[in-house]
Amino acid sequence: MLEIDKINVITKDSKSKILKDLSLKINDGEIHAIMGPNGTGKSTLSKVIMGNYKYELTSGDIIFNNKSIINLSVDERAKLGIFLAMQDPTVIDGVTNSEFLKTATTELTNERINYFDFIKNIDKCLKDLELSEDMIHRSLNKGFSGGEKKKNEILQLKMLKPKFIILDEIDSGLDVDSLKIVCHNINDYLKENKDTSVLIITHYPRILEYINPDYVHIMTDGKITKSGNIELAFETEKNGYNGINDVRKKISNE
Amino acid sequence: MNKIDIGNKEITITSSKELYIYDKEANNRIYNIEKDVVLKVYHYNYDSNSKVVINLNHESAEVEYHYSTINYNDNNTSITVNHNIKNTISNIYNHGVNVLNNKLHFDICGIVPKNIENCICNQENQIINLTNGNSTILPKLLIDNYNVSSSHSAYIGKFKEDSLFYLMSRGISYDTAIKLLVSSLLINSGKDSEELNMFKENIENI
Repeated sequence: MLEIDKINVITKDSKSKILKDLSLKINDGEIHAIMGPNGTGKSTLSKVIMGNYKYELTSGDIIFNNKSIINLSVDERAKLGIFLAMQDPTVIDGVTNSEFLKTATTELTNERINYFDFIKNIDKCLKDLELSEDMIHRSLNKGFSGGEKKKNEILQLKMLKPKFIILDEIDSGLDVDSLKIVCHNINDYLKENKDTSVLIITHYPRILEYINPDYVHIMTDGKITKSGNIELAFETEKNGYNGINDVRKKISNE
Repeated sequence: MNKIDIGNKEITITSSKELYIYDKEANNRIYNIEKDVVLKVYHYNYDSNSKVVINLNHESAEVEYHYSTINYNDNNTSITVNHNIKNTISNIYNHGVNVLNNKLHFDICGIVPKNIENCICNQENQIINLTNGNSTILPKLLIDNYNVSSSHSAYIGKFKEDSLFYLMSRGISYDTAIKLLVSSLLINSGKDSEELNMFKENIENI
């Protein structure tokens, strides 16, 4: 599905090096989680996969379904099936949610929308996510609460049906009930689309209790420094990102 | 919708109404607004000069003016609001998209003389340059009375790259994303009308 091969990434404006020789391979149907302290480059990684203009890949490659995507535009990557649920979704005043989804669906499928199916599908997704019906007619993310913004990202996911999902801190700003609803919807989607892969970026293992990852990676200073299973996430929460190094050293010495 | 003929001329508005205007030639209008009248104008302009004067001549007269323009050549927009009596309200919204490397100029002026109290006089101005157009805004408030609520803002620049990234990350092409953003800027508040449909065609053809 997705292979990140020794990428080095700098910011275009300040030329700061953010990602350093980072490699990661995610196969079809796998769920990976990346945890790490603030400012270590987790969100940058998600944006680089999506093709954000603010970053420059100085070396390495990103392969999606056996094809390099580093020279593709953001929309071309989305058309391949890559979806980034953003940490802080952008407010776009004047573009309604429904207009946005209609346009995105038309451009992704390259077909005219069947409005009956489209409306039926939206209604079902709104109910699944416990969102009010009126929010589909509101400006994109304008006046949405933190929870509504995150649920709206999942609404788009359910409507646009991607093959590779990046969840960038989808759990931040969500209360316990909303987190359950969001995760329940993602799990349902994954059950229906078994080949879909997921990359979860998070600070806390709480989301991983609901969406069970196959692999957990710890990222520090722009690269992946440890990989393991869900236990690594719980160890990290218990001991902190610095403490986990000490614990692991102690275990290996014993 | 209460439609009246609104060619190039001076008109007196005697009852509250909404006006929809579409121009593609230079236009020049004067509105005189009567007592207790609320006038809402949705003025769509395609690549031409506009000159508008609004006279709030009687108490409780109010104007809400939405001006939207698509610009390809050198054009000027001038809107002047005269608060000629106390307790009058003006809210002016001017949005423009400058498509090519030409000049688009907004000269927007709210005037409240010394003896005129309890007025609200606001204006908000935005021009988006799609290329390297030479756009300018003069957001003028000539307020000579302390008992007035007033604000103005002016923005000239490009669409935010974060907005483009967000739209494109859902598979929307750059050109379509720009059209969506242009529509949101220029026809955000407009209701369905013949004039709006003509303007939408102009947006589609950018």
